[in-house]
Amino acid sequence: MNKTFRFLAFAIAIALIAVAAVPSAQAAQTVNLVLMGWSSSPSENERLQKIVDDWNAANPDIQVTLNQVPDYDTTLQKSLAGGEPPDVFYVDSFRFLDLVRADALMPIGDKLTDIEDFYPALRNAFTANGQFYCPPKDFSTLALQINTEMFEAAGLSAPTTWEEMRAAAEKLTKDGVYGVVVPADFARWIAFLYGAGGSVTDDEFTKMTINSPEAAEALKFYTDLYIDGFAKTPADLGVGWAGEAFGKGLVAMAFEGNWIEPYLKDQFPDLKHKAVELPAGPAGKATMAFTVCYAVPMKAKNPDAAIKFVDYLTGAQGMKAWTDLGLAMPTRASLRQGWLEKFPNLEPYLNGAEYARKWQFVPGFQAVLDKVNEQLSLVMSENQTVSGALAEIERVGNEVLASR
Amino acid sequence: MSTGAIAQQGFGARGFALPPNTGKIVRAVLTYAVLILFALAMIMPFVFAVVNSFKELPDIAANPMRLTPGVRADGTPYSWTLQGYERALTTQQINFPRAIFNSFFIAILVTIMRVLFNSLAGYALARIRFPGRGFAFAALVGTLMVPGIVLLIPRYLVLSQLGWIDTYWALLIPYFADAFGIFLMKQFFESIPREIEEAAEIDGASRFRMFFVIILPMAVPALTAMAIFAFQGTWNDFQGPLIALNLNRDLYTLPLALAFLRGVTGDAIQWDLMLAGSVITTLPMAVIFFIFQRFFIEGVSYTGVKG
Amino acid sequence: MAVAAPSLGNQGGFRLSAKAQERLAGFTFILPALIIIIAFIFLPLLSAFLISFTNWNGLQPPTEAAGVGLANYARIFGLDGTTVVRDEFFVAIKNTFYYTLGVVPTQTILALVLAFIVNQQFLRFRGFFRVAFYFPSITSSIVIATIFLWLFNRNGVINGVIGGVANFLGLQYTPVTWINDANGIIHNFLRLFGLTARTAPAWMTETNVLGQTIWQWISGPSVTMLAIMLLAIWTTTGTMMLIFLAALQDIPRQLYEAASVDGATRWQQFRLITVPMLRPTTFFVLTIGLIGCFQVFDQIYVISQGNPAGTTKTIAWIVFRNLRDSQAGLGAALAFVLFVIIAIFTIFQRRLVGKTVQQ
Repeated sequence: MNKTFRFLAFAIAIALIAVAAVPSAQAAQTVNLVLMGWSSSPSENERLQKIVDDWNAANPDIQVTLNQVPDYDTTLQKSLAGGEPPDVFYVDSFRFLDLVRADALMPIGDKLTDIEDFYPALRNAFTANGQFYCPPKDFSTLALQINTEMFEAAGLSAPTTWEEMRAAAEKLTKDGVYGVVVPADFARWIAFLYGAGGSVTDDEFTKMTINSPEAAEALKFYTDLYIDGFAKTPADLGVGWAGEAFGKGLVAMAFEGNWIEPYLKDQFPDLKHKAVELPAGPAGKATMAFTVCYAVPMKAKNPDAAIKFVDYLTGAQGMKAWTDLGLAMPTRASLRQGWLEKFPNLEPYLNGAEYARKWQFVPGFQAVLDKVNEQLSLVMSENQTVSGALAEIERVGNEVLASR
Repeated sequence: MSTGAIAQQGFGARGFALPPNTGKIVRAVLTYAVLILFALAMIMPFVFAVVNSFKELPDIAANPMRLTPGVRADGTPYSWTLQGYERALTTQQINFPRAIFNSFFIAILVTIMRVLFNSLAGYALARIRFPGRGFAFAALVGTLMVPGIVLLIPRYLVLSQLGWIDTYWALLIPYFADAFGIFLMKQFFESIPREIEEAAEIDGASRFRMFFVIILPMAVPALTAMAIFAFQGTWNDFQGPLIALNLNRDLYTLPLALAFLRGVTGDAIQWDLMLAGSVITTLPMAVIFFIFQRFFIEGVSYTGVKG
Repeated sequence: MAVAAPSLGNQGGFRLSAKAQERLAGFTFILPALIIIIAFIFLPLLSAFLISFTNWNGLQPPTEAAGVGLANYARIFGLDGTTVVRDEFFVAIKNTFYYTLGVVPTQTILALVLAFIVNQQFLRFRGFFRVAFYFPSITSSIVIATIFLWLFNRNGVINGVIGGVANFLGLQYTPVTWINDANGIIHNFLRLFGLTARTAPAWMTETNVLGQTIWQWISGPSVTMLAIMLLAIWTTTGTMMLIFLAALQDIPRQLYEAASVDGATRWQQFRLITVPMLRPTTFFVLTIGLIGCFQVFDQIYVISQGNPAGTTKTIAWIVFRNLRDSQAGLGAALAFVLFVIIAIFTIFQRRLVGKTVQQ
């Protein structure tokens, strides 16, 4: 009878060993790289795939697989924690400092072609401890989209100041259409904060400066649009994001980045619209710049191949192929003119780059971001006062800044 | 309302001026009305989802309530379409046909192995005396209370140490046994009269033979219940594949594929695609459910009585 | 009795004593399951426990993290003088508590009532109703959340149905933005009586308890959370009904017959036979309901991601958020606090239900 037992035990042991010993080695002839990113619009995904395909055709020794993953932050975090990050991956400027502090990124800036050509502000967004870590793949700024048909029908011209924008929103709110769509999102409101002359923290990130009269004015302006009934959030309108509300003609204005342009062209080809710079606040014009870089991990298995590939993607040729989609703007000054000739209607976005602020704070600032979004939402639903919201954001922010 | 017979007596005894049957009829009507209302509440969301998955995108947005295609603003009618399905099945980022295969492959294998391993372990805990049995049981019960979310990252670390990330192993082996199933089997084996085993023991049967030849055939209802739960749980699991897979999209199971599908369309959710994906994800399970509904119902009923 | 009886056929060779055989059999039977549970539950659990005492950021292998003692736990309860983590934790406690309080009793009572109705002898199509009620339970949480996200859209089916009914009754209905409405339902109720944040007495709006005013504590679940609660009730009621139904059918008919011969009224029969016989099942249903509610995650992940205004942040959600946002050590500590909360509630509930059995 013991034979059966011994056999069973033996079989299980063998099975476990066999399972544990599954070979993971690969042939060493060609280098295989994985490029990991998030996926946004189908047109963007297709374009990037084509660029990667072109690279693969031209470089048989370095084959790249593009992988656009669903829950990007979680996926990246798991890869890094497990010690096997992808060879090249997207890093948002907001997340960049977290990753640098964790020693997760390899500084590859000095191994790239002609880095002086990148706009200094964008290079700066990916520079820490005096090192340029990763080249910006593209950038976007916020601008105001206006529905020209609605504006013409109402006899309005594009607003250039806050007052004009509010007046237009008021006038255009009728027949089930709202003046403007205002997401309860720090990444949008912050442009108004800067437009009012306010700031989030001091320059050294030692304390919050957001509890100021300027910030109060910006918060009041933004939330009053909503409270007074001239604005709605995307969810109120039953849509996923501001661009969709604008495309469907549910609102006459929206402030979004240039990613909205190919989306509108794709989904709402008949919509008559144009982009203008964000209306100037009491302290003048302001907008935000959002940028993402191609990073190589500190623990890269094939750093040389990865750097070569990144250099192609962000080099003059690769970047031109990518930004010719009109989705995002080239980060190289040398490509500016050619791009503008191709997309003259996108000039307001590029003009915004002159005075745009970067979307970047300090590691751990996510908690403050969450707090601002929460308070925005509370003020909009009249469950919080403007001064109460700013005091609360200041308190939480100071604690985060103090604990780092 | 505890049982029908007694309740009917109660009603019948009352001497209202109404005809004697009225109480019964009112009660029957009320009963059916309540049940039909709830049944509709349970089924209608799926009906709406399935019907709309065959409509055109603007039609879904404009007339979600209509169970037939609606009419455009200019008076022309919308038509039925398979566009959502076509796009879901052909999108480049996600291989839905492969995900269907993966879901079946993984769910079937996990079910078979889990039934085997859980019943072996449950039997040992119920009937075999060996050192550490009490401790093993207490530890098992403890794991029932562990929030799945705790294990998210650490389990990834274990899997990556084993080199199993992005392989089938990571989707299979960790699920070959589970505390709840072992607990269920233990309860069941404890309910079998000891005399049966004692008789077998006198005949000189080994534990191994006793288990496979005598005990296991008696356990078919419990095994069915567990198999159903194993299959259903594995088929619908989201967090498991989310942990185990990173870059290998060929191994996505259906729930992950559906979550990924949302990413494909960006911020603006394209509902024809999402609803079609939801139907594709649910359909195989629904077919299995309707074929084996008796076992599902018995299985669930079983856990309650034994738990 | 016969356990120790030596078997007859000792056909030569090495042979273990009966006791050793028994032990060997025990180990062999339990080994496969044990290895899996140790490797994929205990080991990760242990490492999560260790991680909860470090400042691991989740962006490097955990071996590179530094120990911080009890600092993560101190932050959760605000013992180190900071408030950010503590406040978020208590917001999550509040949200999870309202969620559980809404879902568990509702689904249990609904399931029980439905089980009684379906159990009536005259009922036809019983099979159909059982299948219909159970169907939502076989569907993946991701599918259900996706479909509900669509149904609860502002221009979606739910608002359409309510609007239709309101229209039929001649009432006015302003569509609710289900998935983005941070207003608490108790606040909404109080507003009917003119009580809002502005008119509430000062002791309510100015007394701060663990980061929130009393007024905020009594908000009730937000409208968005209510939608997620409806989803949960909708999904699980069917399963629980089946469990109750099986228990009802398990009660021996003779008990009722004997009772009715003894002259017991229907109410007495219900109280003295049905209720006690259903008690273990009720405990089981309450326990799985409670554990499920405390862990609610998939639905939050798909539908609201903790929004709007943090009103759908649950404990499991903030665990996930911290793991993802470079605070994995803190996330692990939060997870263990959640574990302890679940354990305490389960034990407390067992005591409570156990006690009433004695009466």
